[in-house]
Amino acid sequence: MRILPVYLLIDTSGSMHGEPIESVKVGLEALVSSLRQEPAALESVALSIITFDKDVKQILPLTPLDELQLPEITTPESGPTHTGLALQLLCERVDKEVKKGTAETKGDWKPLLFIMTDGKPSDSKLYKDMIEEVKKRHFGNIVACAAGPSAKAEELLKLTDKVVSLDTLDSTAFKKFFKWVSDSINIGSQSVGATDDIALPPPPPEVNLIL
Amino acid sequence: MNREQRLVARRNAADSRIKDFLDAFEEAADRLSIPCSERRRFLGWTIENLWNKHIEERMNRRLVIENEINNLGLRIPNGTVRKAYTASFALPADKVKDVAIDGLEETGLTLSQPAEGEYLISGTPQKHGDFTLTVSYSTVEGEPRSSFKLPVAFNPDPRSIWRDLRSRLHKDGVKPDWATEYIMVKEDAEGAPRKDVIAASIQGRSHAHEERPRDDYFAARHYEDSDWYVVAVADGAGSAPLSWKGSEIACDTIIEHCRENLDGNKVFEEAIAAFHADPNTELRSVLTAQVSNIIYKGAVKAHEAINAEAAAQGEKPRDYATTLMFAICKHFSFGWFIASFWVGDGAMCIYDEKGGSAKLLGTPDEGEFSGQTRFITMREIFHDKDLVAKRMRMTIVPDFTALFLMTDGVSDPLFETDNNLNDFNKWKEFYSLLKEGFPEDGIPGVNLTDDNPEAAGELLEWLKFWRPGNHDDRTMVVVK
Repeated sequence: MRILPVYLLIDTSGSMHGEPIESVKVGLEALVSSLRQEPAALESVALSIITFDKDVKQILPLTPLDELQLPEITTPESGPTHTGLALQLLCERVDKEVKKGTAETKGDWKPLLFIMTDGKPSDSKLYKDMIEEVKKRHFGNIVACAAGPSAKAEELLKLTDKVVSLDTLDSTAFKKFFKWVSDSINIGSQSVGATDDIALPPPPPEVNLIL
Repeated sequence: MNREQRLVARRNAADSRIKDFLDAFEEAADRLSIPCSERRRFLGWTIENLWNKHIEERMNRRLVIENEINNLGLRIPNGTVRKAYTASFALPADKVKDVAIDGLEETGLTLSQPAEGEYLISGTPQKHGDFTLTVSYSTVEGEPRSSFKLPVAFNPDPRSIWRDLRSRLHKDGVKPDWATEYIMVKEDAEGAPRKDVIAASIQGRSHAHEERPRDDYFAARHYEDSDWYVVAVADGAGSAPLSWKGSEIACDTIIEHCRENLDGNKVFEEAIAAFHADPNTELRSVLTAQVSNIIYKGAVKAHEAINAEAAAQGEKPRDYATTLMFAICKHFSFGWFIASFWVGDGAMCIYDEKGGSAKLLGTPDEGEFSGQTRFITMREIFHDKDLVAKRMRMTIVPDFTALFLMTDGVSDPLFETDNNLNDFNKWKEFYSLLKEGFPEDGIPGVNLTDDNPEAAGELLEWLKFWRPGNHDDRTMVVVK
């Protein structure tokens, strides 16, 4: 059955250690549980989580929403943010996990990408190269979130024109952000037959839209 | 020896063993020159050390077992509310005892142990949500119980959470959420039965859930005077805000255009008859020009009509994006002439059960991802002459069982792939599905006997069939 693939890229670098990452976990739990209440999402959404710090890991391979169980997320105490490497792994996984339409198989829906970071790429050269690769994958939508005061929105604007920012790294901000992500995914799962970018719902006040 | 004597003897034996032990201790202490004043403290120290070592070993044994269990990475699958659930796991019986699960009760499930080391969670989950079960067990005697977490989620049954907000009424000038039409065409002058048209269209569950309009549309006519049938089906793009209107304009424009061009068009009918009598190149090109004039011009008119509406409303034509397929057909003494145009996805097919053929009237426009297609609103579809030609078809067949036009809401779940759309056997299955219905879901089939106006309502009910992940608007027109 065709799925709506959703990739979540989450910054787990040292600065996310502690309260921020705990808030992200709570946000992810809320996201999964609210999507599970939506019939269209429940039958079509598949979720993958890639974390990036010094290392990059796909901690959740693309898994249908009804089957998935959230894995543990850990953060090192300090270290670089390999955003470029994360995009590289993303492209590899998309190539492997997302079905293209052929005469024999029905293609999946265009994948969605949400990337959240509280800093800037430490591997800027790779990051730049990988932006081109990501664009070739024809995501239905790419939403980037610059979380907290040290996040560099201008780096994310090179990846997508849909960049939002959070002023703080506290649980309220993340909760609102993930609720909004969940609404966006839900709209995506209902927009069957959509050819252009899937429309995003208006973000809540805690989530600033950067233009 | 009586009981008392036996007790005394045993006590004496014990006393003598203690004496032996103390002697041995004193001897060793003498040998090592441990001062008498230190000996008591030394004994205490020794016992304490050995005890700690014992505790440590015991704890280590527990930790080793815990590690082994945690490394099993036990997971149980998620379930669905009100559907029987079972999950089993195994734990090494020689190391793990007295297994219990905390948090199981609130899920409505129970734990049993069908065999040594085998554990079974079963029952019918009553509440949806994400739960964390805690499996606890004993390992080494004297050690505290160990535990690990077992996450599990019970999903609602998707069918139970669709909001059905379909309404027959026009809402804010938007078309009703469903429509049906039956065109009954009575016997001809010679008393031979003629084909009827059955049509139905229904808003998809995903749209009904959000109170979004039905983007699909159909229009069908039979002109009594000329005996031409015109059928059109369009599917507005989900992402285009006015596509529900675009599909309407496209179909209605086709009907109007064909009425003007088919009514009393003896030149066209003569060209068809001439070509059939002698299918040579010259007559083919005469006929092709006639067909183009009706079919191609119709498609262009639909494109222009949408542009005009967009201009009048101050909107962008792309906001009206819609697919469009239409066919004209007429019965002649030598058989059926059918001509068609198709841009977008869905399916249009001449199905002939007796003849064993299913002729797809074009190729659905599909991209590498689901939902990517082309629209009548796109200027580029008219640019390439070859591509335009591929969108048009004309054919003469002796007879057919049914001419089907359907949006992807129907063809995607029931055919899935292009290969299947070109497979007669799949169309045969489809046709019997149409007649038999979906008994497992309580959805009856459509009674396709001649002159049965009930069939339109039956088709509407049939279009409500369930396929996970397929809840788009559904529209089908059948000439049969």
